[in-house]
Amino acid sequence: MRHEVQEGPWKSAFRRLIRNRSSLIGLIVLIALILVAVFADQIAPFTFREQNLDATFLMPNAVNFFGTDNFGRDIFSRVVYGTRISLMVGVISVSIALVIGGGLGAIAGYFGGYLDTIVMRFVDVLISIPSILLAISISVTLGGGLRNVMIAVGIGSIPSYARVMRASVLSIKELQFIEAARALGTKKHIILLRHIIPNTLAPVIVQSTLGVAGAILAAAGLGFIGLGIEPPNPEWGAMLNAGRQFIRDYPHMSIYPGIAIMITILSLNLLGDGLRDALDPKMDR
Amino acid sequence: MKFKHIIALISIMFLFLTGCQPAAPQVKDTLVVGMGGDAVSLDPHATNDQPSSRVGRQIYETLIVQTEDLQLVPGLATSWRQVDDLTFEFTLKQGVKFHNGEVLKASDVKFTIDRALKSAFIGHIVGQIESVNVVSDYLLTIKTKQPFAPLLTHLAHPAMSILNEKAVTDGGENYGLNPVGTGPFKFVSWTKLDSIVLTRNDDYHGTKAKVKDVTFKIVTDNTVRTIQLETGELDIAYDIQASDVSRVSGNSELKLLRGANLSTTYIGFNVEKAPFNDVRVRQAINYALDMNAVVNAVYLGVGAPAKGPLGPNVFGANLDLVEYAKNVDRAKQLLADAGFPNGFTTTLWTNENQARVDIAEIVQEQLAAIGIEVKIEVVEWSKYLADTAAGLHDMFILGWTTVTADADYGLFALFHSSAKGTAGNRTFYANARVDELLNIGRTTIDANARLAAYKEAQQIIRDDAPWIFTWTGENIAGTRANVVGFVQHPAGHHKLVDVTFNK
Repeated sequence: MRHEVQEGPWKSAFRRLIRNRSSLIGLIVLIALILVAVFADQIAPFTFREQNLDATFLMPNAVNFFGTDNFGRDIFSRVVYGTRISLMVGVISVSIALVIGGGLGAIAGYFGGYLDTIVMRFVDVLISIPSILLAISISVTLGGGLRNVMIAVGIGSIPSYARVMRASVLSIKELQFIEAARALGTKKHIILLRHIIPNTLAPVIVQSTLGVAGAILAAAGLGFIGLGIEPPNPEWGAMLNAGRQFIRDYPHMSIYPGIAIMITILSLNLLGDGLRDALDPKMDR
Repeated sequence: MKFKHIIALISIMFLFLTGCQPAAPQVKDTLVVGMGGDAVSLDPHATNDQPSSRVGRQIYETLIVQTEDLQLVPGLATSWRQVDDLTFEFTLKQGVKFHNGEVLKASDVKFTIDRALKSAFIGHIVGQIESVNVVSDYLLTIKTKQPFAPLLTHLAHPAMSILNEKAVTDGGENYGLNPVGTGPFKFVSWTKLDSIVLTRNDDYHGTKAKVKDVTFKIVTDNTVRTIQLETGELDIAYDIQASDVSRVSGNSELKLLRGANLSTTYIGFNVEKAPFNDVRVRQAINYALDMNAVVNAVYLGVGAPAKGPLGPNVFGANLDLVEYAKNVDRAKQLLADAGFPNGFTTTLWTNENQARVDIAEIVQEQLAAIGIEVKIEVVEWSKYLADTAAGLHDMFILGWTTVTADADYGLFALFHSSAKGTAGNRTFYANARVDELLNIGRTTIDANARLAAYKEAQQIIRDDAPWIFTWTGENIAGTRANVVGFVQHPAGHHKLVDVTFNK
């Protein structure tokens, strides 16, 4: 369709994004984390499950950069592999929430009427349950494991995407170019998919970037209370929890996964805030 | 402007600091005990869990007392004798008063045991009792369904605490919140998930308690419990975690108490399910594991690797069983013989108990060496008990405490084919000879004959390998240095009547 017309605003948004120093840092750190996740096999000196019961609780040293845990596993390698798990959980669970929540919100916003009432009351019910509580209940019901954590966290954040999407659709569907399309006799689903949804992307992108951070934190929270990914997979929250009982003697067991969580969340939040500013149409030029 | 703010902030902080200074108590007569879980009910027939027993033991008394060195001594019964194979006669102590002023009579004992027989929680403790007969106010007989050798130890179990008929009837539904016993402490109040307060019973029939009040504080986090002991918020902390042992023993303001307990932890196989229905597979896994290394890594020197299904201080324990020493070649050979030369995939269940999850992780890694891919599933406790009772599991980790310190309690429910499922035999193990030996042990009064039967049964169990013997536990408590007279009971329900503070 009219891709050339859209390139302008996206390009300028990107320019604004990298001109903002904090969001640029967020972007660079995030890219670095993605590289770590992709090349974990090359970066980590050990596997994440290799135990050495004769070398437990080692302090950070030249071989084990972050020391070893209570099973003698290399914490650096586990943190590196943990990046892969956390980013995967973040992205996939947000995708689940985005597709379901965004879809519901778009339908509710565009068609209005009874459909809107039914969908949004359902979303209201979901939103009245704290999302972490919802995630805990889902994850208790489904059992542990990577896939179930992603589903649990994803479902837990459906409402926010539904609301954002519905609000955007509502504001766009009254604009003149939509009316024009309707006047031309364009089919409803074509209008929704081709004309409305592409124009709602800005707030959704912001929401998703911040949402990935929330999802990673939620997964770490589930891991911390023992509902997360099954051992021996190195999930940061679970590593933090495992280190908790030794925190007064061997704080390195908790510090490094904690720092990893912090850096990831911080970079996503910086990027998300930057995107919010960059994609705000009022900020143009 | 800014400077003023800082001054204001500092003065406010100073106010807080001075305001928070605790006033030093004049004479210390309240003992504060920290434990990891809240009681479920203080009605001994409404539950059978450790925190409840730990509190109940101060409020209630039993006919017979099992001492800290596991001897049976008179409690509310001053003497007893065996009348015939099925019947024991008990003489009650006179002048014993319940906390509500009622005098203890034989009718209370009959009421208690009749009520206990209806309880869903303690069937394995009272189930063998047929009837109680009141001969006079202070004389009664207890009859069992069949000769039941461990009857006396069962009567010493905290679940057999003697209740007052009037108090239970008056208490109705809420009796568990208003317990009335004959013990050295009276119940005062209970704030759920926070604390239980008791006070001295000044009418106590024995040596009266030395401290005036006892507060049980519920501190679920193990690390926090140790910290509160260090800061003096607690006088006694139960169940010091392994990683804090050296911290407590190295602190001159604290004392560390250690003593073997009656608990055992095991990894069980579902022997009705392939591939664990093949004894060679179960033995192979036993040979593939270095349980000494597992126990050292997980329990950091607390307790000991288990050598059999019973801990060494339990009557009837066979201490001559040969260990399955780690032998990977042997393990691989056995697996190949059983038809699994390349191993298989299975699951290992555990509940949310950090030590057990840790054991599972090491087992997973060690079994990978013989080609067995283990998936660990951490299952919520009530679901865990229900699903293992229903036989939905492959391998699982559980513990058992032989509260009575008698082999019957520690073997019958776990290995007898009639006890499959909920009753305790979650491996679904069945062996006709073991059944026969456990029946002999249960119904024979002669101690030597019992011992021989139990030893043989344990040898068969070792060879059939429905369990991987894992760990025998240890009670570890910490006290402030000024606490005296505290002795741990191997069953975990420690007496506090003799505890006091030195000046």
